[in-house]
Amino acid sequence: MTVSDPVVAGETAEIAANRRLLSGGTLRRQAGGVLKYVLLTLGAGLMILPFADMFIGALRGPADVYANPPRYLPAEPQWGVYARVFAELPMGRWFANSVIVTFLITAAQVATSVTAGYALAKYEFRGRAAIFRLVVGAQMFPFFLFIIPIFFILRFVPLMGGNDIAGQGGSGLLGTYAALCLPFLVTWYGVFLMRQFFLAIPDDLMEAARLDGANEYRIFRSIMLPLVKPAIATLTLFSFVYHWNEFIWTMTVTRSAPELQTLPVGIYLLSGAFESLDQKSLQQAALAVSILPVIVVFLALQRLFVASDFASGVK
Amino acid sequence: MRPRAPVGDDGPAAGGAAPWVFLAPLLIFAFVFFVLPLGFSVWLSFTRWNPLGTPSWVGLRQFEYLLTRDDAFWRTILNTFVFAFGFVAIGVPLALVLAFAFSRAKGKAIWRQVYYLPQLTNIVAIAYLWQFVLDDRDGLINRGLAAIGLRGPDWLTDPTMAMISVVLVMIWYDAGKNMLIFSAALEAVDQEIYDAATLDGAGAWRTLRSVTLPIIRPAFTFATITSFITGMGFFSLILAMTGGGPRGATEVTALYTYRMAFEDLRMGRASAGALILFVIIGLLSLLQFRALRERAR
Repeated sequence: MTVSDPVVAGETAEIAANRRLLSGGTLRRQAGGVLKYVLLTLGAGLMILPFADMFIGALRGPADVYANPPRYLPAEPQWGVYARVFAELPMGRWFANSVIVTFLITAAQVATSVTAGYALAKYEFRGRAAIFRLVVGAQMFPFFLFIIPIFFILRFVPLMGGNDIAGQGGSGLLGTYAALCLPFLVTWYGVFLMRQFFLAIPDDLMEAARLDGANEYRIFRSIMLPLVKPAIATLTLFSFVYHWNEFIWTMTVTRSAPELQTLPVGIYLLSGAFESLDQKSLQQAALAVSILPVIVVFLALQRLFVASDFASGVK
Repeated sequence: MRPRAPVGDDGPAAGGAAPWVFLAPLLIFAFVFFVLPLGFSVWLSFTRWNPLGTPSWVGLRQFEYLLTRDDAFWRTILNTFVFAFGFVAIGVPLALVLAFAFSRAKGKAIWRQVYYLPQLTNIVAIAYLWQFVLDDRDGLINRGLAAIGLRGPDWLTDPTMAMISVVLVMIWYDAGKNMLIFSAALEAVDQEIYDAATLDGAGAWRTLRSVTLPIIRPAFTFATITSFITGMGFFSLILAMTGGGPRGATEVTALYTYRMAFEDLRMGRASAGALILFVIIGLLSLLQFRALRERAR
């Protein structure tokens, strides 16, 4: 940086003094630099350690766990375990449910965030400030507050799932994909994110299109939407990750509906079946299967992903 | 000039019914899945209700029971504080340090990905992965300690250690999120400001204190308060990792009320408990916000 700049004629004595000061600290700074990388590497090892432990554990066979003392590294890696999780557990079903639910929710969240964010950013109407306050304020409400009431709102939907007109008698929407998706169709954070992006787009574009006779929906679809593609990519990635991993709600509504369980829920509710020592590797392989798709998608999409988008809520 | 649509002070123009069409899904959702559940929840907290029967109005009795007679409830509140404060007090500064370290490190994209890895992982896997690593006898850590002749602690079966373990795992899990927030804030700081500070003779420590920290203060406030709210209401990790045990040592209030509802089927009392927790979180967040803003002046 400044230290390596060519000497500029007329340099003040003050700057020269600073420069001497800096070069005096070079050795110490280099040592500090090495220490930093050592610490970062140790930290990175700690981040990866449980994952490595899982991959190794999945490959252990009965011969390893019942050896005395039990072997940590498998003598003979049991790669067949990944076929076994699909054969012995309802992995296919869980996997399909995870894909279906994540896809539906992500698509809905992007659609509702884009439209609502656009309206809040680009139109002036009575109640806009109030709705925006709702969007910001609602993010402050923790999810645990909603579990009980939403559970029963879905349970008492009239005329669904055997319910009568008063919502009694049946199970309502519980036990359907709707119960898994409906409470997540809108994400307040997504609406907020999209509004911020639309705010940055000049209004002149809308005005010009209006003068050319384009109607409001066409302006939105053909002009505004293409301009926020990066934000859409970011939101898609976040929704995907969040809902692939969603656990508490899905577990609550599918506890008694095994055909609707997703990967994390299925693995959790079946944990009793993994008690025996030689079943642990099966559980570890199942966990690996639940984790890998997210990492693959994340690495594939991360070039679209801008850290600063995520943090735009800060400003 | 041609007549134009009326334009507001700050630009956005009126578009007839269009904004309401765009907002319709949000408004319907806000009613059905925000306003209605909140109202329902408040109403439920004044009732006694086993969902097999019909709710009966009991006034403030559920609140009175939880606040004055239920020792378990207060124990879970205490556990919630320990969990949330431990998580925020260590997790947020750690994330800031990481973001600092990455901001001038080679290959920062890769460092960030590695530290972000847990954030991509479902919480059940997080809990079970650490159960394996921390297992008293067969876990990687205690095996390692045994190899150098040390006896490792009972990470998940000793009541005190179990709380420490879940806090540490929570910090491990969440470090990547706050790190990203701080990284974004640090990157927004213009390099020229640093150069100017260096030219003015400011050392590294002084630059940090007088230039960098004030600029990222909003991010710090944001990360602290959101982490606090997250920590106070977070129970999925604990549910899957310790189930609230051993002997209730890691049972937090959100988990306690969840079980009260879906295992004991006491919907009224569980709603009251959730509301009390929510009010506590709201008040403390407000206090934090005030305190962090005051210091900024």
